[in-house]
Amino acid sequence: MKNKLTFLYSFLCYALFIACSSPKATITKHTEQFYTISAANGQDSLMQAFLSPYKKGVDTIMQGVLVYSDVPLTKAQPECTMGNLIADAQLVSARKIDSTVAISVVNYGGVRINFIAAGAITRGLVYEVMPFENKIAIVSLSGLQLQTMCDQIALRKGWPIAGLSFQIKDRKAVNINVNGQAINESIVYKIAINDYVARGGDNFEFMQKATKRFTDILIRDAIIDYLVAINQQHKVYHIELENRISYAE
Amino acid sequence: MQNRRSFLKKSLIGSGLLAVGQFPFQSFAKEDVKRLTILHTNDVHSRLDPFPMDGSRHQGEGGVVARMALINKIRAEQEHVLLLDAGDIFQGTPYFNLYKGEPEIKAMSLMGYDAVTMGNHDFDAGIEGFAKQLPLANFPVLIANYDFTNTVLEHKTQPYKIFNKGGLKIGVFGLGIELKGLVGEAQYQQTHYLEPIQIANATAALLKRKEACDMVICLSHLGYEYEGRKVSDMILAKQSENIDLIIGGHTHTFLDQPTILTNKQGKEVVINQVGWAGLRLGRLDYEFGNFSTKNLAKAHSVIISK
Repeated sequence: MKNKLTFLYSFLCYALFIACSSPKATITKHTEQFYTISAANGQDSLMQAFLSPYKKGVDTIMQGVLVYSDVPLTKAQPECTMGNLIADAQLVSARKIDSTVAISVVNYGGVRINFIAAGAITRGLVYEVMPFENKIAIVSLSGLQLQTMCDQIALRKGWPIAGLSFQIKDRKAVNINVNGQAINESIVYKIAINDYVARGGDNFEFMQKATKRFTDILIRDAIIDYLVAINQQHKVYHIELENRISYAE
Repeated sequence: MQNRRSFLKKSLIGSGLLAVGQFPFQSFAKEDVKRLTILHTNDVHSRLDPFPMDGSRHQGEGGVVARMALINKIRAEQEHVLLLDAGDIFQGTPYFNLYKGEPEIKAMSLMGYDAVTMGNHDFDAGIEGFAKQLPLANFPVLIANYDFTNTVLEHKTQPYKIFNKGGLKIGVFGLGIELKGLVGEAQYQQTHYLEPIQIANATAALLKRKEACDMVICLSHLGYEYEGRKVSDMILAKQSENIDLIIGGHTHTFLDQPTILTNKQGKEVVINQVGWAGLRLGRLDYEFGNFSTKNLAKAHSVIISK
């Protein structure tokens, strides 16, 4: 009996709601799913026709030459020309945001092709070198943390760096040098690095706790801008191995 | 888990009531079920082409050519479809660098998007850059918490839109993330960010109470969740009233299934987000009954979910 009264009461309430221009329907059920979009879903010919001229334009631009290099760029450890280019470009770009950035570090795994022949460096090649959407982060490390970072890089047999040099001895970093000076434990060093590593990726857990600033600059764009600027000065790109990281005798 | 349990409990009580009072109306009520399919994307970031076949993780996935084919296939099967995007349409491929968003907006118009909201990267060509592409869109840009007074976007966006789909009234509104610190001031200019939760509740109340919408959807570019207090879809959902579904973006979160939370009124709020780059299309199928079928159908859905 009590149930029936409750029901009657709720029915009256509902009737009242409807009278006051309340929603007429109510959600009774929902189900969810997602599709991974791929050609297996089919190809829409109308969209294909629409996109085609834009795609041609993009492909043309990707073939555009940024600069000419008089040396081949290669990927190797502990130091390589391709890596030096990326580390230098990242340092220049980060310094536009914060002029006190001293060091640049590139995770070796983020460099995705092994070789660019001497000659034209196209925009498309830079996309191939750095296809990911990683951005530059600026991480502040104490002298002690910088030693830890260099040891980690030594353990990984060398990553591309700029503003910094050291030697690897017994899988540790020795003779660390920041812009011509030995590490000072009381100084805070600002390091430009990939945002993924700054968040602790590539097992750089010690970076998680460090003070950091995330910029909106794609590392790829930093490389493109760097090369374009060289070309605008009517120069040819040139890079050498400089013993940024080497093995101690 | 607690919420889920109490939901089950309530539904079982509901079905008990039905057994007593409402059983004779069951066959009549069943014919009144209305259906709506919601399709959604977020953070597509100018990914008009699929990812290249280069051995990378997502090779061959995404792209507007395949997305349109999939959307058309679903439209052929479902009568009432809403296609929505939660922002960051722009930036991420050379298409954007070259064409400043034109093919992205045109492609979305071709696919028949019903509404979008704005992400922070949609300011990347400046507020003028976005305004320039807007005439190419045959869908509205919904944003309730940006005040565009004295900018080129003034009167060019709207806070919400009500869609009539097969006798259902669906209210959709948009929310954007705080731009300061995320976007250069030169890009967003005098855009004034308004505290989103207050705006969301006011807009949702208007849609549900005054406009009598049967469902309220929030297109949000706030982000799924953060450490600390920064406002997110998770925080919004818990503090909201009258919102049934939040379609999120910004954090590029791949939710394999939606998050279901309880709002301030003790009602269910669904949050969904499909990562980024147009790799996925999200789909939610809703069924609606009139008020007399409410408990009946809920009891039914409990049995299925077991």
